[in-house]
Amino acid sequence: MLKGWLVLRELLRGAAITGRHFFANMTFHTLKLFGIRAKRRGAVTIQYPEERKALSPRHRSLHRLRAREDGKPSCVACMLCVTVCPSECLSVEAAEDDDPEIQKTPARFVVDLNRCCFCGFCVEACPVDAIRMDTGEIRLAASTRAGLEISLDKR
Amino acid sequence: MSEVKMVGLTIDGRTVRAAEGTNVLQAAEQAGISIPHFCYHPAFEAEGNCRLCLVEIEGLPKLDLACSTVVREGMIVRTSTAPVLEARKDVLEFLLAEHPLDCPICDKAGECKLQDYYDRHGLFPGWFLEAKEKRQKKISIGKGLLLDRERCILCTRCVRYLRKVTGTGELGVFERGVRAEVGTYDDAPIDNNYSGNLVDICPVGAITDTDFRFKTRAWFLEKRPTVCPRCSRGCAVIVESVSGYPLEEGERRVFRIRAGENPAVNGYWICDFGRAGRRDIDEGRQERVIKSASPESELSWQKALADVMARIRSVPGPERAAKVAVILNSRMTREELTLAKRLFAEGLSLDKIFFADPKPGAADGFLLTEERVPNARGVLQAGFSPRLPDLDALAASVEVLLVFGSHLLDHFSEEAVSRALAKIPSKFLFSAHTGPLDRLAEIVFPLAVSAEKSGTYINIDGLRQSFGRAAEPAPGVVSEHEILGCLAAGLGLNVGEHDVR
Repeated sequence: MLKGWLVLRELLRGAAITGRHFFANMTFHTLKLFGIRAKRRGAVTIQYPEERKALSPRHRSLHRLRAREDGKPSCVACMLCVTVCPSECLSVEAAEDDDPEIQKTPARFVVDLNRCCFCGFCVEACPVDAIRMDTGEIRLAASTRAGLEISLDKR
Repeated sequence: MSEVKMVGLTIDGRTVRAAEGTNVLQAAEQAGISIPHFCYHPAFEAEGNCRLCLVEIEGLPKLDLACSTVVREGMIVRTSTAPVLEARKDVLEFLLAEHPLDCPICDKAGECKLQDYYDRHGLFPGWFLEAKEKRQKKISIGKGLLLDRERCILCTRCVRYLRKVTGTGELGVFERGVRAEVGTYDDAPIDNNYSGNLVDICPVGAITDTDFRFKTRAWFLEKRPTVCPRCSRGCAVIVESVSGYPLEEGERRVFRIRAGENPAVNGYWICDFGRAGRRDIDEGRQERVIKSASPESELSWQKALADVMARIRSVPGPERAAKVAVILNSRMTREELTLAKRLFAEGLSLDKIFFADPKPGAADGFLLTEERVPNARGVLQAGFSPRLPDLDALAASVEVLLVFGSHLLDHFSEEAVSRALAKIPSKFLFSAHTGPLDRLAEIVFPLAVSAEKSGTYINIDGLRQSFGRAAEPAPGVVSEHEILGCLAAGLGLNVGEHDVR
């Protein structure tokens, strides 16, 4: 008997919270409708796949390698990103570039998104500002593990 | 040693006793005080051109070079007073004014003295507005060596090395002042067996090795000492390998072999032949047990060794001396040889114990010896008298043959060996590298190379040198020591103490 009462009490408390949010939001939306400015705005639901919220300018999304003016990657394969990466997700292989001023260029630059934790340390460590995490691509799902190993120099 | 006169001096308030004739830099180093320097190298006389080792010596009006000042009784030296620190900073600033700062693409980064000293003694902001001098950045100066003139700080260690140590003198300093540069005479390339040491002694990344170029970064390397197995000199070497991240599957593990220091054997140098020994560790390796009769791919060596024991046991005891033969080699460590002696000669009382070693090469008069095996003295000390097998006699009588190493082919043609082995019912090969002998053997066992084992070698002068494991062997790869120990245990033979040195 007592148990039944406790359940009912919790149910009513839940309904009260939902009701409070509903009426509060409705009030703020109605105020906005009549052009009355309030301190708070009513809550808005974004219909995610169809609607997108703008990303913050300092967000971190999929990595990219910046290009030099002639289209070559500006990465010099110094492996500082590989060194600093805490989740050990980067693998870089260097190759010889014919230009003696460049000399070193990545032959392979793979980021393994299976492991990446999007900390952005690679961006911080890069001495030539070659890697950035500002592509805005945050929908990074794949159906295979290999599909998450992304070659940045081939993109 | 008693006639060497000792001199007492004070360095940074510490009383130091040093042999007469040593310089202040060495005396300080013996006392545990390191004075930064580029051009000074203990193998050469002091040159004093980098000016970084300036110290304060009481009684002298100006700072003086620690590398070219000989210790005197009662000398008072200070290495970290304000004027000294200021002078170091200034010297570094002069050197860095013309340095390209391309550390991201420099193979020396991480072990570069200029980087280290800037970090420890410099840390000044750059305020040179003038553009840096442009020089050639990639010149081939000989066998696998690249010179970068922008990075060069003109310490002339390389020039002095080629003049004083190898005596070939291929490099020199040309022009003067800001145009001074290191180069070869008439572009004649450096071609001697000790050119790899130039990369080791260059304090910056001016001379780099094409074999190591861009392969990895210095800070990923794990450095472990061992003894070079490529000739009987037994030079101290340092094997530099990467074992985990960022190593990829199937990538090379040992990135280079560098000279270790051993004043009793090789001083500071090793030959290029020994340096190229990194290929022995990584290339053409036997990776797993191969049993020709069985398609089983994941056969463990312990399981495969049971077959060997069964074949040896199937030969009755009194007949073993005639019907079981072993071919060993002088690359085995002293410990393994003793174990082999106890197991084959004493335990199984075999007569037919042979040795097949690589053919001797030419000695070069400095470090490289004729014998291309590290432990020929050890073989004699273990009580063996090494001799080559007679293939026809072997084929006629032997039923079970155990071959360690694949150097039979250095002495006999492949055809002769395969003809002889075809007549022997059971033959087992224990080899570190793949080769034509593999398909002739019933079971092939993958062995560790000497860098992957610990043991003792006895060099050409009879010097006994023990070494530890310098690189991790691949899973499934075993040493002769394990194989022989397991055989002895399986055959119920007592081989005595575990430590059979």
